[in-house]
Amino acid sequence: MTSRPMRNPQLAWREIDGEIVIISPEDSQVHELNVTAALVWKRADGEQTLEEIAAGMVSEFDVTHESARKDVAELIAQLAEKQLVTAAVEVKT
Amino acid sequence: MDRWIQRTVQRHLPWSVHLDITYRCNERCIHCYLDHTDYGEMSTQEIKGVLDQLAEAGTLFLTLSGGEIFLRSDLFELIGYARKLHFDVSLKTNALLIDTQKARKLRELGVRRIQISIYSTDPEVHDAITKVRGSLKRSIRAIRFLKAQGLHVKIACPLMKQNLSAYRGVLALAEELGVPYVIDLTITPKMDGDTSILPLRVSAQSLLPVLQDPILNPPPDTGCAARDSTPVTGSATSSGIESEAYDDIPCSAGHNSCYISPYGDVLPCVQMPIPAGNLRRQSFGEIWFDSRAMNRVRAVRESHLPVCSGCSIRQYCERCPGLAHMEGGDLLGAYERACDMAELNARMAGAVNPVSALHAMKALTDDAASIPMKPAQVSASDCGH
Repeated sequence: MTSRPMRNPQLAWREIDGEIVIISPEDSQVHELNVTAALVWKRADGEQTLEEIAAGMVSEFDVTHESARKDVAELIAQLAEKQLVTAAVEVKT
Repeated sequence: MDRWIQRTVQRHLPWSVHLDITYRCNERCIHCYLDHTDYGEMSTQEIKGVLDQLAEAGTLFLTLSGGEIFLRSDLFELIGYARKLHFDVSLKTNALLIDTQKARKLRELGVRRIQISIYSTDPEVHDAITKVRGSLKRSIRAIRFLKAQGLHVKIACPLMKQNLSAYRGVLALAEELGVPYVIDLTITPKMDGDTSILPLRVSAQSLLPVLQDPILNPPPDTGCAARDSTPVTGSATSSGIESEAYDDIPCSAGHNSCYISPYGDVLPCVQMPIPAGNLRRQSFGEIWFDSRAMNRVRAVRESHLPVCSGCSIRQYCERCPGLAHMEGGDLLGAYERACDMAELNARMAGAVNPVSALHAMKALTDDAASIPMKPAQVSASDCGH
């Protein structure tokens, strides 16, 4: 939980009502993120660790820390698979 | 995407903005609706300020156009700034100034789409329209530079009397280059209302063979590589995006899209020159949400249109409220060109003698005018009998 995921800077995106729509300039592919995924996306700035993103989720939603960590890890994996984020920028020592 | 369009229409969010950053141009196209004199374009900082406001207001789709955008020395700075604000950036350019280095820079900046007008594959025809010798060769060369960088290029082919038969060649060129294309049938009055360029338009009747051409209507599964999902005919200024959200509104103008001129004027659309405000004097939010002009446009519903809502061939009509305003003088009205095209489309769909509501009304008026007046009753006494 020490990697610092970062949004793909090539992507165009906007937040509306807590949800996010993303467009890839390369293939015009549209991706939609619900409120939970949007929170993870917005915090995936290359600065925050997965642990810190999970802590953010706990403070925003009524979820346990354990559940938040699991959800964040899964969401980041899904976003990375779609090349919307780079999974691990740096490992905190 | 439809869900987002519905949401932005309902919430009046400026989802898509067409920003002309200059009216200056290095071509002098005979059908152009702009005055190319620079009366004081917004500075780099002013445009960045506008982009900040648009990002804050929720704009995602940003089209930078002109005039010729590459005449601005700060173009890449502006695109870079827009991309940092996470806009989806598309460009409209004649591409005359694009070389390999510029194409590479556009790719690095993450521009999604570049639209370039090609009028004919015959240099004599294309260059006579742009009034720049060698312009066809340079535009096509630029398309190849852009394609080599993996960028998405779209060819627009505005049709007018001068190039009516040229579209087949342009389509073949698009196929060869592997790019999508749109045949644009729209020739509009100039933005100041000057209609002197309208005679360049091809009549609806003369468009019939074009619209019936099998090359524009291939059967499904013919593997046309260059064709994308948008219709092959339409307006080059339109996004081409269809949505149920637009069902009872004339178009997206003022609902989730607008136009900004190089001088900061905000209009509902480039084809709807109804001034809503100026960004040098007001914030974008004030103009977009509170201006009388935007709210007036926003209030219009298809079902409110006094003539068109009762038209029997409405489904074949591509009425543009901006052109209704410019050509018919009434934002809610019908206008000749739309009616002519609707009747043409209806005939092509198999309707027998389709008549638009406007033309039906005019026929009634003409008939009434042509009925001989009933002779005044003459009394016997008047005749001296």
